[in-house]
Amino acid sequence: MESVLSKDVQERLKGVGAAEIVVGIPSYNNVRTIGHVVRACSAGLSKYFPTHRSLIINSDGGSTDGTREAAQQAEHDTESLLLLTQHPVSPVQRISAPYLGVPGKGSAFRTIFAAAGLLGAKACVVVDSDLRSITPQWIELLAGPVLGRNFDFIAPYYLRHKFDGTITNGIIYPITRALFGKRVRQPIGGDFGFSGRLAARYLEKDVWESDVARFGVDIWMTLTAIAEGFVTGQAYLGAKLHDAKDPGADLTAMFRQVVGSLFTLMETYQQVWQSSNGSQPVPMFGFPFEVGVEPVKVNAERMVAAFARGVKELDSIYSAFLSHPTREALAAWAANTGDGFRLPDKLWVHVIYEYAAAWHHRTLDRQHLMESLVPLYLGRTASFVLEMRDSSPIEVEDRIECLCSEFEHERAYLSTRWLANGKENSHAGNAG
Amino acid sequence: MQGMLDKTFVEPFRRLAAHFESVWPSLITVLVILIIGGAVAVTLRWMVFRLLTRAKFDRLVDTTGFGSAILRTQLFRSPSDFAARIVQGVCWAFIVLFALVAVEAPVANSLVDRFVNYIPAMLTAGLVLLLASAVSKFLARSALLAAVNAQWPGARLLAGSVRVLVMTLGVLVALEQLRIGLTPLLVTFAILFAGIVVAGAIAFGYGARDMARQWLQERMKPPTQEEEPFHHL
Repeated sequence: MESVLSKDVQERLKGVGAAEIVVGIPSYNNVRTIGHVVRACSAGLSKYFPTHRSLIINSDGGSTDGTREAAQQAEHDTESLLLLTQHPVSPVQRISAPYLGVPGKGSAFRTIFAAAGLLGAKACVVVDSDLRSITPQWIELLAGPVLGRNFDFIAPYYLRHKFDGTITNGIIYPITRALFGKRVRQPIGGDFGFSGRLAARYLEKDVWESDVARFGVDIWMTLTAIAEGFVTGQAYLGAKLHDAKDPGADLTAMFRQVVGSLFTLMETYQQVWQSSNGSQPVPMFGFPFEVGVEPVKVNAERMVAAFARGVKELDSIYSAFLSHPTREALAAWAANTGDGFRLPDKLWVHVIYEYAAAWHHRTLDRQHLMESLVPLYLGRTASFVLEMRDSSPIEVEDRIECLCSEFEHERAYLSTRWLANGKENSHAGNAG
Repeated sequence: MQGMLDKTFVEPFRRLAAHFESVWPSLITVLVILIIGGAVAVTLRWMVFRLLTRAKFDRLVDTTGFGSAILRTQLFRSPSDFAARIVQGVCWAFIVLFALVAVEAPVANSLVDRFVNYIPAMLTAGLVLLLASAVSKFLARSALLAAVNAQWPGARLLAGSVRVLVMTLGVLVALEQLRIGLTPLLVTFAILFAGIVVAGAIAFGYGARDMARQWLQERMKPPTQEEEPFHHL
């Protein structure tokens, strides 16, 4: 555990001694927002957990814009918290430290897990450093069920624009639910609460040279908790507003890390999903309320064009692992890119399951496999946007539920593809 | 008269018969070696073909892209067939050399030496070609995917060019291993390559100045809100 932490950080943690709650904030060049995030966390710990010893650790990836200094200097006025029930027994400790290992969010989390282990933390919370909508109550909602109700993992539940989070809505949530049986709505939300026991379990895993060390860490944390039987819940946090996306994190790389990690987890926990059946809701903490969300601009026509071009240009690649009916259906929709353009649920489910099987069978280089999925994902996203353009958020949520049902319904198809030898099965299947 | 007939017709036949008598054991030996060797070569080809088919060699070769190239020649049924025929060919080469040695042909020893010395070069060249084929396919696929995802026009052309370039380099290295005269090939390649580059640059410069300017302007300007419309995660 200690090799994860530099000697300097170990010394500083020894100085802290022990902490019951550790709040981790991974960062990289977030000087504009990290001060607000640290203040919100500090206020949340003072207000909701005044009797607990706590630490905020900023795990930084080598920021050059003064993020670490901003995190250290951010102060909040405990007197201004009007509803403070009692003064904290000890001030919230704060450490800002660079992490070791592969640059990425996962490596930053690893440092936080190690710090939590060293301090004997009972509960941990991790929150993104680019948040603009975080409030002190987030800390209570994410750490409270762990400390008071013996939950091991609390995922966030945000209100988002109907066209926001399309990888979550189109791939990650449906598969988490269909295969692992838990309806965790935001499996890659990025802000989580978890027990010290689960943090120790995370630290035992040998995944820190893989995509888990980067963007894949969110889905890895969620699915590890669910698949290994840790008690899981979710907390209603309201809207998630955050800074503009890291420009270096392009869609292809992010997509590969997240979806690739999901497929790898399907391999790791093959026994779990093959023996599970159906899905159950998970307990929700917090008080749901309506809130305005940021408007989202979507250029569906451009995505449809990218889809059509991808289907046409990449056919030689798709023929290596997609079934003949699936490719025929994709080609038919690529030729029909007008207003009525749709990628039906069943076809999309077959595409994703065939990709998962190809990942499992290593039919193609895995990076190429993920890159070839991007045009199809854009097509599915455009189809969803065109279909839901005039729909209310509730109707959109119902539509996502329908997609999830299709993923659950087609589980047998996944099993067939998964167990069969990828290439020999390329003429099987029946997609609409 | 009789003497003249003997001298004109009988004597040559006698000499021919005597010569044939001295070489016919060697001919029989060559014939036997060729018949037995041929049978061995055919058997070996059959065995190699069966072995490779069972070992799913065809699928392995398919993943490198070499399989489709083999089938496109329409000379071989499959990569296993191709490999088996190569083994048969090498076997035949050894049989012929063996036959030449057996009849103590004057060129036999030098041929054997040259052939044996050439084997490592042939193996190296074969490996270089296989490697070039696999690398060219991988790089071409990478280029195709990057171009398609970046919405670049002419993605297939780019991928094809990458493949041709890498394979050309592979062939040149293989030829160098085989010690086949490279200078004319290199000169031809350099002239062709430089010609293509110059022609492309002139064509682009004259025919697509506006397009180039627009493309560069689009590349240089910071991304707008519309280009990053929403959070995928």
